[in-house]
Amino acid sequence: MPEKFDAIVIGGGHNGLINAAYLARAGKKVLVLERRFVLGGASVTEEIYPGFKFSVFSYVVSLLRPEIIRDLRLSEFGLTILPLESTLSPLPDGDYLYRDGDHYRTVRSIARFSPRDADIYEDYSHMMYFMAKAVRPILGMVPPDPTSLNPAELNRLLRLARQYLGLDKEQLYTLVRLMTMSSADFLERWFESEPLKGTMAASGIIGTYLGPRSPGTAYVLLHHYMGEIDGAFRAWGFVKGGTGGIADALALSARSFGVQIRTNTAVKQIIVRAGKAQGVALENGDEIYADIIISSLDPRRSYLDLVDVATRKNELPADLLAAVERYKFLGSSGKVNLALDAAPQLACWPGIGRHLSGAISISPSVDYIERAYDDAKYGEFSRHPYIDIIIPSMIDPGMAPPGKHVMSCFVQYAPYYLRSGDWEQQRQAFGDAVVDTLSEYFPNIKDIILHRQVLTPVDIEAVTGLSEGNIFQGELSLSQLFFLRPAAGYARYRTPLRGYYLCGSGTHPGGGISGASGRLAAMEILKHWGANQGGQG
Amino acid sequence: MNNSAQKYDVIVIGAGHNGLVAAAYLARAGMKTLVLEGRGVLGGAAASETVFPGFRVDSGSFDAGLFLPEIIDELQLEKHGFRFIESPAVIHAFQSDGNSLTLWRDPQRTAQEISRFSPADAAKYPKYLQWLRRMGSVLERTLLMAPPHIPDLTSADIWSYLPLAIKARCMGRRDLMEMVRVLPLSVSDFLDEWFECAALKTALGAAGVFGNTLGPKGTGTTLMLLYQSMNAGEAGFRASRFVEGGMGCLPQALASAARQAGVEIRLAAPVHQIILDNGEVTGVMLSDGETVHAARILSSTSPRATFFDLVGAPNLEVRFIREVRNIRYNGSLARVNLALSDLPAFNMNPGGNDSRERLSGRLLFCPDLEYLERAYDDAKYSRFPQHLVLDAAIPTLSDSSLAPAGMHLMEINVQYPPYSLKSSNWDDKREELGDCVVEMLDDYAPGIKNLITDRQVLTPLDLERQYGLPEGCIYHGQMALDQMLFMRPVPGFANYRTPIEGLYLCGSGTHPGGGVTGAPGRNAAQTVLKNR
Repeated sequence: MPEKFDAIVIGGGHNGLINAAYLARAGKKVLVLERRFVLGGASVTEEIYPGFKFSVFSYVVSLLRPEIIRDLRLSEFGLTILPLESTLSPLPDGDYLYRDGDHYRTVRSIARFSPRDADIYEDYSHMMYFMAKAVRPILGMVPPDPTSLNPAELNRLLRLARQYLGLDKEQLYTLVRLMTMSSADFLERWFESEPLKGTMAASGIIGTYLGPRSPGTAYVLLHHYMGEIDGAFRAWGFVKGGTGGIADALALSARSFGVQIRTNTAVKQIIVRAGKAQGVALENGDEIYADIIISSLDPRRSYLDLVDVATRKNELPADLLAAVERYKFLGSSGKVNLALDAAPQLACWPGIGRHLSGAISISPSVDYIERAYDDAKYGEFSRHPYIDIIIPSMIDPGMAPPGKHVMSCFVQYAPYYLRSGDWEQQRQAFGDAVVDTLSEYFPNIKDIILHRQVLTPVDIEAVTGLSEGNIFQGELSLSQLFFLRPAAGYARYRTPLRGYYLCGSGTHPGGGISGASGRLAAMEILKHWGANQGGQG
Repeated sequence: MNNSAQKYDVIVIGAGHNGLVAAAYLARAGMKTLVLEGRGVLGGAAASETVFPGFRVDSGSFDAGLFLPEIIDELQLEKHGFRFIESPAVIHAFQSDGNSLTLWRDPQRTAQEISRFSPADAAKYPKYLQWLRRMGSVLERTLLMAPPHIPDLTSADIWSYLPLAIKARCMGRRDLMEMVRVLPLSVSDFLDEWFECAALKTALGAAGVFGNTLGPKGTGTTLMLLYQSMNAGEAGFRASRFVEGGMGCLPQALASAARQAGVEIRLAAPVHQIILDNGEVTGVMLSDGETVHAARILSSTSPRATFFDLVGAPNLEVRFIREVRNIRYNGSLARVNLALSDLPAFNMNPGGNDSRERLSGRLLFCPDLEYLERAYDDAKYSRFPQHLVLDAAIPTLSDSSLAPAGMHLMEINVQYPPYSLKSSNWDDKREELGDCVVEMLDDYAPGIKNLITDRQVLTPLDLERQYGLPEGCIYHGQMALDQMLFMRPVPGFANYRTPIEGLYLCGSGTHPGGGVTGAPGRNAAQTVLKNR
């Protein structure tokens, strides 16, 4: 008698675990299958070098939704988020811009570059705070299927949206701008000083294969602002013990609801009979059955790898397959993790202090980032990349041996497809470019590196399974958001195969460690539970 | 100061095509209309001028393909001497290896041509045209009306959108979703979804960035590609059409139709100021001090010129002024006109006896989309162009009356010299730009240098000075996603009205935007008539 579950979740990343936990919480018998030896997907902590713990891929959290933390009692299960309190943007001329939770200190720092920008900074923050707050309900909403686009209907929808979101006209227009403008153009409506615009524009390009002057990036700016809602300034943080701490807490929570979790268990394909998902076939030949199968993998893997050719041909509509095939991943970021023998010293602000406890952003101007993008758009990694640095050991000493440090560098751009050569050949050159750039700001960096881990998009793909190394399971571009994510007509987590669902970041609302996809998918699944079971056993 | 005794119902500022269209419609509805034009010629940036002796040079736009057929019918422009020339070739895309691609007006001939490069693309081409047609028909509808006043839509407005709604419904759900998905794509990504042949993608994709400061990898450029494919007629992908006798014959026909309806047109009568009384317009003052009264004024100049120069910022709310100031113009198009003693000998493969035919439409000099993107990079950093992209025409091949016997005229749009140069200025660099263009052309048509008898170079700065195009932007504001529909020219005022009672806009800065469509003029006139 083969094993039988109510639901099987493929992939033990945060969305998979959250999905499983919500289903089990509703009384279902749920099994999570993870290919790797460790849970968390892209949010894992590993000891790559003896004594040094790294948040290997994903390194900060902000987007994890509070209702998930509450519903799944993650704090009880050991999730501790240490706030990341500042952003320091060192400049090539030896100066720096420093922003933190102390409003007046931040404004004084900005005023050194532009008194006008300093004056308007608070207004901008309020505006973005409000827009993020207004848009956030959309993240908690199953996308509608706009079957009718006639203007009366559209207007009704807009009115509804307006009431619902509490937006006035001005805010609605701002929302349109955020959805359509480039982050540079959007910021230029407000600010004039390059250091401020540069460092702020950087959050508009994270995870995208676009530059700050590409329309559409203002939305990513907003997407990242979501994290600023619950706290005051930049409510980003790292997880105590590394990002893997999220998976640990989630796993404990899930198990407390009765979820079974198996690692080192790779799923080969889902088993489909008569248009209904029946179970999964493992790489080792075993089969496990369940009423509902949920994939937290990206759309390409979920529809193309996990579904066998015959089923794909017979059961999946051509428009869906076409949409999945052209769905854009194009990973553009890399990660360099450094084990350091001593504390890194900034040229612009020597010594050890609070400034090293926050984020350090190498983004001195909009043009600097745009140039980094120029390299990438022609198929090369950035010679002078944008780097978002954090040094977790500064506030979480357990991450490295005493007196030593771990440094996490998120690097953009590193395009998945290189014009010449492959990443195997270019990995070290890419690492060198990152370290060279770092050394312009941290003069001692080269002398204190004990170990260097360079992760290219190809490595990210190989280890985490994220197609083309895209950290969001697909570009957060206008053509791939909301009811178009992952494909028009298939945005409600259900697939055309009965009993088969998606719950990864490749579904609405998209990437970042928000967990919203996993949670919303669970809601949808529970809503339709009866219909899926009908007639099958 | 003298006061004109005449009193008008409405004054239209600017005799460009939109100003004239608006005036004609207003007069036909019985309004006593005066058009005031600062320059000595009709047409604004859609004019023909004798730049070189014996030549009629289209000093701005040379392609009137987008002009609304509804206006041609309603104003009976053909009776006033207006005639399109539909050249057999629409675009001839020169390749650096000499193996050039012609997109013909006849789709079958085009498919044959494409099959030389890629049989797969040739097979897809008819499907692509069908697809464009389905999308285009909905877009064309939106051109013909004021954009919905989102979010304050009245029920009366909703009725007027019914035809659009029906059209949209007829598309079917799948197409509608497809349109929503596709509009924000970059032309480069969009065309990759359809075709494999670089030459074809370049020839089609260049339209998506024409006149804008965005590269083919820019988000939303597909919207412009669709815009340029409207009213495409037989060709299906682009409505490239010349005007018989030169572009200037279009404004002449419009002026003639307008005059017949009773419009008075005064040239060389620059408006200095719009006169306000208690927040309402009462008339205009000309540069010579003369005042003319009217209760309604339509300005076809740019939002910038209208509100900053003619109304004056102090007369407007701070918030509104800030919106107007934030309109992105950012022009990056220059123009070179060449008088040629003979037809240049272009390196063409296949050359031979149809080469004149192949040269009859728009001529695109751009090796591939990546080159186009690199050319855009120059504009992005305000550099003097290192990569030139030329979009040209030799209108004398279709209409020999434009030049002295045996001679030819070549009109070249140069994409993307930026309006502001980082370390120089256009008054110093103007002729250098002209030289670079000629050098580039000489690679494709060796010896062309020796045929040039006269040359005119218009940098973005010159386009601003000469035609009042702010920052040289030919569209009176970038045609980008955030400056379209109810966001154009500024949100809340997309229905051609302004915060000032009696003042309307009717130029390219308003919905649906630039290009020689006449739609802003027609829509604005209808708005005025509705509110009469």
